Amino acid sequence: MTPPPAASVAAMIRPAPRIKESATNRDMLAVMDGAPLGYWLLLLLSASAMMMAGAIWVYQVYKGLGIAGYAHPIFWGVYIVTFVFWVGIAHAGTLISAILFLFRAKWRNAINRGAEAMTVFAVLTAAQFLGIHVGRMWKSYFILPYPNQRALWVNFKSPLLWDTFAITTYATISILFLFVGLIPDFAIARDRSTGWKKVLYTVLALGWQGTSHQWKSHNRSVLHLSGLATPLVLSVHSVVSWDFAVAIVPGWHTTIFAPYFVAGAIFSGFAMVLTLMIPVRRIFKLEAYITAYHFENMSRFILLTSIIVGYAYMSEYFIAWYSGVEPEQTAFWLRAFGPYWISTWVMIICNAALPQLLWFPKLRVNVPFLFVLSVFINIGMWFERYVIIITGLSREYDPATWGVFIPSWPEMGILAGSFGFFCTFFLIFLKLFPIVAIAEMKEIAIHEKAHSADHAADPSAQGAH
Amino acid sequence: MATVMGIFELPAQAAGVVTKLRARGFTDIETFAPAPFPEVDDAVIPKPSKVRLLTLIGGLTGVVTGYAMTVWMSNNWQILVGGKPYASIPPYTVIAFELTILFGGLLTVLGLFVYGGLPSFKTSKAYSPRFSAEDFGVVVQCLERDVAEVDALLRDYDAMEVTLVEA
Repeated sequence: MTPPPAASVAAMIRPAPRIKESATNRDMLAVMDGAPLGYWLLLLLSASAMMMAGAIWVYQVYKGLGIAGYAHPIFWGVYIVTFVFWVGIAHAGTLISAILFLFRAKWRNAINRGAEAMTVFAVLTAAQFLGIHVGRMWKSYFILPYPNQRALWVNFKSPLLWDTFAITTYATISILFLFVGLIPDFAIARDRSTGWKKVLYTVLALGWQGTSHQWKSHNRSVLHLSGLATPLVLSVHSVVSWDFAVAIVPGWHTTIFAPYFVAGAIFSGFAMVLTLMIPVRRIFKLEAYITAYHFENMSRFILLTSIIVGYAYMSEYFIAWYSGVEPEQTAFWLRAFGPYWISTWVMIICNAALPQLLWFPKLRVNVPFLFVLSVFINIGMWFERYVIIITGLSREYDPATWGVFIPSWPEMGILAGSFGFFCTFFLIFLKLFPIVAIAEMKEIAIHEKAHSADHAADPSAQGAH
Repeated sequence: MATVMGIFELPAQAAGVVTKLRARGFTDIETFAPAPFPEVDDAVIPKPSKVRLLTLIGGLTGVVTGYAMTVWMSNNWQILVGGKPYASIPPYTVIAFELTILFGGLLTVLGLFVYGGLPSFKTSKAYSPRFSAEDFGVVVQCLERDVAEVDALLRDYDAMEVTLVEA
C-alpha cells in the first residue's frame, strides 16, 4: 500500500497553534520596558558625577599629581585605596556565578546576572585608577611587555606586573562569563521586541535558537568558564594583596594578606550585591524571584566572611605584638591610637562588629536592615584599605620620614566620580539587558512543573524526593 | 523527506521520545529547549561536548606562553642581581597561571561558537518564539512513509501538538 502524502497527513494531525507565554519572560522583560522619572534622575546624577571626575582628571593631568596631595612619604593615596576597593567589589560576581555554580547552589540563579554585571563594571572602574594614579598616564602602556626601541622588557618579578596580568585576565573572563550567560536571554528578548531593540538583540543573540547542539556547548562552556574562574577569583585579590605584602613596609609584610584580602573582597562584594539588588527588587517588583531565601543565604555568606575578616584583624595585631618586632608593634599601635584612629575604628565596627547582628535569624531576612548594613560594610571596607595603605606609608621605619596624609579634593572628587561611573553603567545595563538570568530562572520553573506533574501522575511518589 | 515536529511541555517527555526515536533508527533529530536540560541534549548527542578539547588546548598554550615569554624576556634583557639566575620561576608562575586562565577562557568561548554553531545567520524553519517561552520542540527528519509512525511515537510521549514543517 502506498503511504498517504505527507501534506495530507499533516492536515490530519495539525491542531490549532497554542502558544503560551512564560510568566518568567513577562516579569523579567518588564524590567526593561519604560523607565520611571526616578531612574532618569539617578542616571543624570551618576553621569554628572562621572563627568565631574573626568574634568578633575583632565585638570590633574594638566597640573600634575601634586594637586592630589601626592608628596613624600605617601605616593599611594586615595586612588590606590579606591582601586583595591573596586577590585574587591568585583569578587562577589564571579564567586556567585562560578563557585556557586560548581557547588550546584541553585539559589544563585536569581542574583547571578546582577552580580556578574556588577563585577564587570567594578573591574572597569578599578582599572581606570591604575591610569589615574600614575604621574604621566600617557606612558601607562610601559607596563605592557611589547617590543620597543630600547630593547627593554618589563620586570616580571614585580607584583605590579602580576597585577596587570591578573586584572586584565579578570576583566576579560568576567566579560566573557557575562556575555555567554546573556546569549539565551538575548534570544528571548529578540523574539519579543520590536524596532531598534529587535535589531540590537538579534545581533547580540548571534542566532541562538536553543538547539541541543547550542545548549550542549553552552553548558560545557559555562562549566569550564566556572572551573577557570574559580581559581582566578581567588588569585586576583591575592595578587592585589601581594602588591603590599611583597614590600617591607611595617603592617604590609605579612603572609596572611592573600586569604585576608580574598575574604574581605567576597565580604564587600556580597554587601554591594545587596546594596544594588535591594532597590532593584523593590522598584521592579521582583519579590517573587529574589526571596527571603536568597537574603538568608547572602546574609550567611556575609556573616561567615565577616568572621574571617575579624579574625584576620585580630591575628594581625596578635602577630605584631608576638613577633617582638618594634616597627610592627608601633605601626599597629599607631593604627588604633595614632592620627588615623577614626578610620581604624570605623573599619573594625563596620566590618567585624555590626555584621555579628546577623546571628539573629530575623535580621537575616529583614530587607531594610540588610540594606543599611550593606552600606555600612561598603564604607567599612573602603576604610580597611585606607587604613592599610595610608597608615602603612605614613609610618615607615625612620620617624624622620613620617608624614600625615589628608585626602585632597581632587581625590575625593574622583572617588565620587568612580561611583558615578559604576552606577551610570549599571543603570544603563538594567534597562538594556535582563538583570535576572531568565533562562536559568525558567530552568527552575520547568523543573517545578515536572515535579508537580510527577506527583499528579503518581500520588504515592509524594514525599519521595 | 518530511520534517515532523512535536511540541512538549516537559523535558523528560522530549528526552524520552528522542531516545525512542533514535532506537527506532531516526537519527536526524534536533530539539529546541527554553533552558538548559542536559537530559534532552544528551539524548540527541550522547557524546560529551568537544568544547573541553579547546579549553585544554587554550590552557596549555597559556601556561607555555606564560613561562616561555617571561623566561625569554629575562634572558633577552639581562639584569644580574647578586649572581642569581636571570629568570626566576616562582614569580613567573603568577604570569603563567593568569595566562592559562585567559587563554583557556578565550578558547572555551571559541568552542561555544564553533561547536554551538554561533553566530548562526540562518533561522531554522521549525523555530518559533514558543521555544524561548516554555515549550520544547523535537524535530525529526524522516521519509514521507514514516510520518505516521513518527507522529504516533511523538503522541505516545504526550506531545501537545504535532505538525509538519514546510520545507
